[in-house]
Amino acid sequence: MSGQPSALEKVVAFVDERVGLKTLQAKMLNEPVPGGSRWAYVFGSCLLFIFIMQVVTGILLMFYYVPSADHAYASTQYIIHEVDYGWFILSYHFWGSSAMVVMVFAHMSQVFLWGAYKKPRELIWLIGLALFGLVMAFGFTGYLLPWDQRAYWATTVGVEIMDKTPLVGDFMARFLKGGPTPGQMTLSRFFVIHVMILPAALMGLAGLHLFLFRKAGPAGPFRGSAEELRARTDYFFPRQVWKDIVAMGAVFVTICSLAFIEPVVLLEEATPDPGDYHPEPEWYFLFLFQMLRLKIFSGELGQFVAGVAIPLGFMVFLASLPFIDRSPERNIFKRPIALIGWLLVMTGILVFTVSAIINREFLD
Amino acid sequence: MQPKLKSRVRCADREVGEVTRIIVDPLSREISHIVVGDGAGAPERQIPAAQVQAVTEDTVQLRGTSSELAQFPAFRREGYVTIREVEIAHLEDHLHVEPGEVLVPVPELERNVERRTFFTNFTHAVSLLLALPLAFPVLRYLMKPMYAPFDNRWIKIGNVGKIKAEDVGVQFKFKKSVKEAFMPEAEIDKNVWVLKASPAVLEGVYKGKDLEFKDHTGQVVWTNKRDVPYVAYSGKCPHLGCGYKWRNVPKLGRQIFLCPCHLSIYDPSGKVLDGPAPRALDPVPIRVTASGEIEIIDVEFKAGTRAQIRIV
Repeated sequence: MSGQPSALEKVVAFVDERVGLKTLQAKMLNEPVPGGSRWAYVFGSCLLFIFIMQVVTGILLMFYYVPSADHAYASTQYIIHEVDYGWFILSYHFWGSSAMVVMVFAHMSQVFLWGAYKKPRELIWLIGLALFGLVMAFGFTGYLLPWDQRAYWATTVGVEIMDKTPLVGDFMARFLKGGPTPGQMTLSRFFVIHVMILPAALMGLAGLHLFLFRKAGPAGPFRGSAEELRARTDYFFPRQVWKDIVAMGAVFVTICSLAFIEPVVLLEEATPDPGDYHPEPEWYFLFLFQMLRLKIFSGELGQFVAGVAIPLGFMVFLASLPFIDRSPERNIFKRPIALIGWLLVMTGILVFTVSAIINREFLD
Repeated sequence: MQPKLKSRVRCADREVGEVTRIIVDPLSREISHIVVGDGAGAPERQIPAAQVQAVTEDTVQLRGTSSELAQFPAFRREGYVTIREVEIAHLEDHLHVEPGEVLVPVPELERNVERRTFFTNFTHAVSLLLALPLAFPVLRYLMKPMYAPFDNRWIKIGNVGKIKAEDVGVQFKFKKSVKEAFMPEAEIDKNVWVLKASPAVLEGVYKGKDLEFKDHTGQVVWTNKRDVPYVAYSGKCPHLGCGYKWRNVPKLGRQIFLCPCHLSIYDPSGKVLDGPAPRALDPVPIRVTASGEIEIIDVEFKAGTRAQIRIV
């Protein structure tokens, strides 16, 4: 015990002198959480975790995957059947995408119900909505890459829906497909969007989301006096970090279990003849799919309303929410319209999704 | 005005020392306490902000006398961290407790620079001008494969011998060779539905008129005669482009075309009976040789529009 710093301490001191590591660490971890840590705050961290895992598994998949119409299917089959643990990496990536969507819904719901989108957090909410759009775009573009029948038809119908946008629809659809019908150009475009454009956009926007979140500080609970909040306030580390880690662990175990229980199985290779396959999108688009079946959404106008106007209108509504709802009241039990609206939207999505699933058996 | 660090602190009767530290509430971001020390070794006292009666640039006036000061708790440093060690949003914006200012000189060359706004705008203009010539080439680069000429080849799909009854949809699968950009030529599977139509159904399809198919130039490439009983429908549902099926529906007592995607239903003449489809099934150019071989041109129309808009 000479009192001399150890080699490790010297290294830490060396880095700290140049990076300001200790200050950075203190700034990162010592953020007061008003009203204390809560399980309700874990969703954002979980999303970050799921995204990082999608990046890791996605990069691993690219070691074997070939984005060409004549090799995409074969290379995906090779990953599933030949590469050691390939089935697991692919299935993890597949279920991870579903987990991402579930978690986005949970995160948005929490922020909405807690009234955390209100002043001064409007920009965080807006960027969050853009991130939501990116997550859906990830799901849509990634779905095509295995190049099986499921992939081909989900893309065919999905792009046709986009085509229904007035004026620019035809251009957008052709631009995305790289031609009048899906083919190699579509696969190339979806691939580059999925692995380059969307990840870059998501990293940038998620960074901005976090930066602005730190700038505004956590909103805290929607009720309780200043004294109560002060008494229960703690730092981000360790209690909230602990809750976040536990939640991430639960998410990880769930995704792994799903990958084991329901590993990805490909259908036939993509081709414009569906054979016996009944095209269907991924489950989180089922409600939209079912909505398009309704008689009131028939015809040219109906498709535009259900496929483009309603989803887009809903996003615009969500974006304008903090500017329409300017009351500082955050308690959800004192915001009946917000509560009923949320319940209606959730019930609507649930009912349409379930009816799409029930409809399946009548088709066979 | 906020009390400043190092300000002299007075009670009603005398000066008691100086402000040694300032404590801020992390939630309200307001100053909650000042810490007063006499500089002579007596314990520093933590005084609530409510005790402060008046503040000037360099003095803080407390309520009460110096003898009452002892009732306030001694300051315990271990219960606090500096504001450098925590992240509290907008804390610095709220704090004006440093006396004086800390400054750095403006470089000599930067003094008296005129036209600063001009230079700012000039920079923006140059950036824009750099980006502008790229916009069009990039757009054209990405648009390259978007519009392809129509394919008017006749494709053999099978023999009419496969059709056993009138007004029954029979699926003919066929291979179509495609050559896309740099890719090697490949065969893709496609299908059309062929019907040997009764006069009534034929009337439903053609409505008494021959059906013309045009090239992108508007030139007629083929005409389906209204009296030829064989009708071929594109395998693509005119709603959103799925593949539809021929189904016997006992409840309806008839056979229909059904699209499993969004449940559009068509009768044998292609008319929409139910569901969201905006138009009838699309007949494609068909000709039957003397030996009964069926040939079609694989035209495709845009799905989801009331009018037929050819895209392939």
